Amino acid sequence: MTRRAFLASGAAALAAAPVRADVSRSIAIIDWALLETALALGIVPAAASELMQYRNLVVEPEVPDTVVADLGLRGSPNFEMLRQVEPDLIVISQFYDYQRPQLERIAPVLSLPVYDAGTPPYALVEDSTLKLGEALGIAEKARAYVTDTAREIALRRTALTSHRARPVFIINLGDSRHFRAFGGDSMFGDVLGRLGMENAWSDTTSYSAAAPVGIEALARVPDAGIVIVDPSPPEVARGLPRNAIWNALPAVREGRVATIAPVSHFGGLPSARRFARLTESAMSQWPVA
Amino acid sequence: MKGQRILLPWAGLGLLAAMLFAMELRAAWPQGDDALQWIILQNAVLPRAVVAILAGAALGLAGLLLQRVLRNALAEPSTLGISAGAQLAMATATLYAPALMGWSVGFVAFAGGIAAVAIILALTWRRGLEPVSVVLAGMMVALTANAASAALILANGDYLFSLFIWGGGSLVQQSWDPAIAIGSRLAIGLAAAILLLRPLGILGLDDASARSLGVALHASRFAIVALAVWIATTVAAEVGIIGFVGLAAPALATLSGARTLRQRIVAAPLIGAILLWVTDGLVQLASGAGGERLPTGAATALLGGPLLLWILPRLRMMEWPSLTTPMAASRRAARPVAMLLVTLVALIFAMVVALFAGSGPYGWTIATGDLLADLSQWRIPRIVVAAAAGAMLAAAGVMVQRLTGNPLASPEVLGVGTGAGAGLTAVLLINATAGLFWQIAGAAAGALGALLLILGVAARGKFGPERLLLGGVAIGAAASAIITAVVAMGTTTSYTLLTWLTGSTAQADATQAFTALTLMAVLITPALLTVRWLDILPLGGETAKSLGVPLIRARFLVVLLAALMTASAAMFVGPLSFIGLIAPHLARLLGLGRARDHLIGAVLLGAALMVVSDWLARMVAFPYQLPVGLFASLIGGPYLVYLLSRGAHQRG
Repeated sequence: MTRRAFLASGAAALAAAPVRADVSRSIAIIDWALLETALALGIVPAAASELMQYRNLVVEPEVPDTVVADLGLRGSPNFEMLRQVEPDLIVISQFYDYQRPQLERIAPVLSLPVYDAGTPPYALVEDSTLKLGEALGIAEKARAYVTDTAREIALRRTALTSHRARPVFIINLGDSRHFRAFGGDSMFGDVLGRLGMENAWSDTTSYSAAAPVGIEALARVPDAGIVIVDPSPPEVARGLPRNAIWNALPAVREGRVATIAPVSHFGGLPSARRFARLTESAMSQWPVA
Repeated sequence: MKGQRILLPWAGLGLLAAMLFAMELRAAWPQGDDALQWIILQNAVLPRAVVAILAGAALGLAGLLLQRVLRNALAEPSTLGISAGAQLAMATATLYAPALMGWSVGFVAFAGGIAAVAIILALTWRRGLEPVSVVLAGMMVALTANAASAALILANGDYLFSLFIWGGGSLVQQSWDPAIAIGSRLAIGLAAAILLLRPLGILGLDDASARSLGVALHASRFAIVALAVWIATTVAAEVGIIGFVGLAAPALATLSGARTLRQRIVAAPLIGAILLWVTDGLVQLASGAGGERLPTGAATALLGGPLLLWILPRLRMMEWPSLTTPMAASRRAARPVAMLLVTLVALIFAMVVALFAGSGPYGWTIATGDLLADLSQWRIPRIVVAAAAGAMLAAAGVMVQRLTGNPLASPEVLGVGTGAGAGLTAVLLINATAGLFWQIAGAAAGALGALLLILGVAARGKFGPERLLLGGVAIGAAASAIITAVVAMGTTTSYTLLTWLTGSTAQADATQAFTALTLMAVLITPALLTVRWLDILPLGGETAKSLGVPLIRARFLVVLLAALMTASAAMFVGPLSFIGLIAPHLARLLGLGRARDHLIGAVLLGAALMVVSDWLARMVAFPYQLPVGLFASLIGGPYLVYLLSRGAHQRG
């Protein structure tokens, strides 16, 4: 099977998937990484949190808006709503463990880790995907998804072979003067490594909203390419082209900069896959060193 | 001789800043002919130092102009709500009118800042822009704008990453544009200040003399305020919020011996420039490869808080006839007990509605049976916590208003609520996942610290009302600056703090409800024993003394109780809500004039208002939950406007 055909068949399988696999089981999901994972495995939850922002920032897999009840902000889910949805199981990540006592009064809680400060998250997320699959009675499907994702990333790695000579910064712009970088302990950094690329940012990230850094820090690795993950604030469009240091960066002068659509920073395997796809298609346009 | 002694420390600080800059230069100096390093030197290192100097000078000038025109030693961009207004405008524009932000950030910031000042001036106009009222109104506008920005950030999360940076105030530069923008405004401002030297000098006198000397009083005042706001918001738009420089520079200029206005116009910008340059140098010295540990604006705020407390007792506070007129006597109800019963019924009604009525996935429902039994485990704690917090705030409000004789005084201005926030911040900095017990312990310690400071400041003025209010505002501003600084770091702690800032009861459980009830019982009971003092205190210190009130002890106990109640309430519903301001006024409007009836009535009304706010906050955007503190203040804001315009007729 060619790479393209494989990817197409994967996409077709995904498109066909969204039917509630186990109708007797109604679940509610607070964490976005686990929400996207469940959706990718074909499970449509009865309720999930902050769906308006999810559609903007996580984008895929899509949430069918007719089926899923919105629980409000992830940080303060609406317990009354949740109680009236009457789920059989509530899925959270370690970020929301503080809500556990309240949630356990509604239904049993399954907490799966999706991020651990200082360690690359991909393996952790693979493990949580498998555990989620087991808990939902679709272990087989989860295993297949894990294998599929790994295979897709490996294929994209091959496609990028000619671009490996230069390291890459993965950044998110705060304004036209500051960025934050995604280090090896972030999902983007981990996937970048799995794509065979070197991360130009050698520090760890510790958290995605880490302290902002001035653009001049990008000059520390002058020959690196730059991938900007959207969304960027509106003033960047005007401010960045006027930024003298930005314009002087070799990556900018030689056209090794790309902006990709939003991807969840604390995502699961579907986000890892989305990031790999968007990054590969952006970087393959770059001039080869 | 004396002049030299005073100049020496500034020369020393200037030298230190220059040395720090020299170190930066050496570190950034290009090796060989590295073109990129040259560009960085020219476009990052050099403009950063220039911007630090220019922005510091601009803020010093803006502060001086505002203080002079408003005859108010505490006037500056952050105490007048200019920064907070600008931030709210930028947050709103980023979300709802991104094209506007793309077009001109400076314009958006100016619009927000000038709107905040306009609101404050309109609110205090009829009080003749009397300084205590201006600062109180400024604080309320700033708190509301901050809470609204916090709610926007919480609801949009990551997307407003830029606002974190902006709130922290970063001097990182990559081109000369900000330096040019700030420099040109500074030049215009200085030129205008020199041209307007005479009117400025006269505006520092009282209105009658100014008018008799032929100054177009209002026109010049507005023109100068607008100029100051323009300068301050330009700095804000280019580098973010830099607090306290505008306050400290003019004050330090005066303390360093700049006697005439002409001397101050030179000294204040110079001192502002030195302060900001030194701070920024230290920030860069402490920064690592992963970026700056502390944004510069946050650093000035951290240094500025203690500085403010040091300056405060050394300043001539009142350049204004002090406002000692007792509050206007209001209509007395013929049967106050009947009125109290009415308020009690209102409270019970609010509680019943909040318990039974609610929205769900299939629309509105009146909960019964099993559903009610289940929902009440969330609804009852929220109702109890809201009611207890509202009651304590209202009681504190009655006590503070009667103590100070200022109808604008409210528990928020004691600075105790934000002090609790600073304590909470400290705990979360040590351990981001600290449990509820430690969070409450930290908040209590912070509140206690703020309280002791206020009592210390107030004791110097024999617990007189003005010093108490201004001390409270100063401590509140310092504590908010600490909170803002930590929020600006953009970590998980930021989100916890933002949630607290907006005032959320979403996590209320049985333990919290029990704690809130206990605190309320323990604190309101002794408050009821002070009602005789509360009847007499508004009549003024002399009268009170002649009626046999132990003045200092009475004031001390009243302040202590009010502060403890404010701190307890703030732990549950955040630092903001106008309940402590409004409930006492409503009780008075109902004709509850005697201190005992006033206190009980306000407590019942405060509880009812907070229960209603909490219920609305739960229901208006269901299933999204709005923060109750913010909601309460949105209800309170319009009433505040009404109150102030009404107060005008009574006075005039």
